[in-house]
Amino acid sequence: MGITSYDWGLIWDYRSELLHGLLTALEVSVVALVISVVAGLGLAMVRLGKAPFTWIAAIYINVFRGMPALVTVIWIYFGVSLVLGINFTVFQAGVIALSLLYSAFMAEIFRSALQAVPHGHREAGQALGMRDTRIFFSVVAPQAFKIALPNVGSMFIGMIKDTSTFTVIGLLEVVRVVQNVNAQTFQPFVLYTAAAAIYVLVAFAVDLLFRVGEGAFSTPPKGVVSKMLRGRKQRRIEALVAELA
Amino acid sequence: MNTVNPAADPTPGAPVPAEKGVLIGDEERAEAAAAPAPAGRRARRDGAPAAQPGVATTGDTSQPVVRIRGLRKSFGDLEVLHGIDLDVHAGEHVVLFGPSGSGKSTVLRSINLLEEPNSGSVCVDGVEYGPGLPGEKGSGKPAKRGKPIELRRKVGMVFQQFNLFPHLTALENVALPLRSVKGMKADDANRKAAESLRQVGLLQRAAHYPGQLSGGQQQRVAIARALSQDPKVMLFDEPTSALDPELVGEVLRVMHELAEAGMTMVVVTHELGFAREIGDLNVFMDAGVVVETGSSELFDHPTDPRCQDFMRAVR
Ligand SMILES: Nc1ncnc2c1ncn2[C@@H]1O[C@H](COP(=O)(O)OP(=O)(O)O)[C@@H](O)[C@H]1O
Ligand SMILES: [Mg+2]
Repeated sequence: MGITSYDWGLIWDYRSELLHGLLTALEVSVVALVISVVAGLGLAMVRLGKAPFTWIAAIYINVFRGMPALVTVIWIYFGVSLVLGINFTVFQAGVIALSLLYSAFMAEIFRSALQAVPHGHREAGQALGMRDTRIFFSVVAPQAFKIALPNVGSMFIGMIKDTSTFTVIGLLEVVRVVQNVNAQTFQPFVLYTAAAAIYVLVAFAVDLLFRVGEGAFSTPPKGVVSKMLRGRKQRRIEALVAELA
Repeated sequence: MNTVNPAADPTPGAPVPAEKGVLIGDEERAEAAAAPAPAGRRARRDGAPAAQPGVATTGDTSQPVVRIRGLRKSFGDLEVLHGIDLDVHAGEHVVLFGPSGSGKSTVLRSINLLEEPNSGSVCVDGVEYGPGLPGEKGSGKPAKRGKPIELRRKVGMVFQQFNLFPHLTALENVALPLRSVKGMKADDANRKAAESLRQVGLLQRAAHYPGQLSGGQQQRVAIARALSQDPKVMLFDEPTSALDPELVGEVLRVMHELAEAGMTMVVVTHELGFAREIGDLNVFMDAGVVVETGSSELFDHPTDPRCQDFMRAVR
């Protein structure tokens, strides 16, 4: 087999393995996304709160923002598991590593988003006699969520890309699949090009998804999705107005 | 019947039919009718001795809706209010004016405890809050304290920057606090909110988001939002200062109707023409103290040199 013979048909032949690798990467990322959004929001609130808790949150954020995914997953799978005496599956180790890392990033995203909500809105809620928790959930959080959404999308793309390092613990994600196929076929250029294309396409799709989501949360509503989500509410208000007018 | 007919809607495009509405509900109207007429209150100041020397008051002897005593407020080491005493009685319209930085906003914000008093007390409709006066009986310990949230629910506030919630429609802006504070069901809250919007002439804009409304319309929604909570007193902190000049009139018109309807109001404003029309008690503040008070003659014949300087400067 000469150096110039590229067998692009391999991608089709191994499509189900590649797809399976992609699904594994997405599964790990989605689970970790949910965990890190929730944990990140909690961390952000602690970070914005009182000492000494804010310092603890700050330390956490600065440690895990600085750790590479590769080091973290090895540390969890081979190190922490030993200390705790728990045998994590590779899937679990991947989820834990991503969640630890991205909670720190999410915390920073949510912190700045919460701070970006004008203080006057909080005061208006207080002046109306609303309780602080109600102000948070009905006034501040929805606005902060909208501000944070594009950055959360970027983080999600980062998470999917970081799953590629989990090949070191043997997670059957895209890179691991490619490595296995390459060991049988010796077509690294074709296979790694396929891997790269998969990541790029997924990033593109995620970006698109979050853009649609952003549109859905814009006011006034923009795009088909938001019209669908909020058209009913709008019509209800208009019906009430028509009834009272 | 008190009606509000705001000027032709300034938003270009779809013309909005003029709406008629009642500014206050039947219950409140009955109360307002029972209270002495504003004209009588205005006249009473001449001759009637002040209840307490140094207290800014019209001299009305009834229990005030808002009573501020010895209010001091510091930001860090800087004391910005040096002991304010003010009475606002039911149905009265008190105007606070004076140079920028004199402490007008801080007084208003202390009434609903957006600012915590460092000393003195604030009492709204019988709910008292504050560390009390130095030397008062039992001083050292905090005086009897109502819950801030209890006090806030008796006070409506309108801000210079409107502070509408941008992710909610005009109707939802009004309905949200009705549900969360008054515990109303969604449907009832929406109906009451729609009625409030009608009162400020914006029923047809109920489904609009704040970003789709002019500044004047946003401020009218903010007034409707505060009003729908049935407050005992409405506070206005420079409600027209952030507006383009052509939008000032529609907001002042709504406030004027509100005043006519007998709402108790404390207004910080630079619109002295408007102040002259509605002010039962006009309070000139400078550097954290009340310098001079009076009825509308204060605007024509200020006696304190600082007030004279200010009047010259704004004229
Ligand atoms: N949150 C704050 N922190 C520090 N200083 C403040 C704060 N709010 C107001 N001040 C100061 O208090 C003084 C009175 O302010 P304010 O009540 O806003 O005056 P006015 O409304 O009459 O313009 C000003 O000197 C202002 O700088
Ligand atoms: Mg001010």
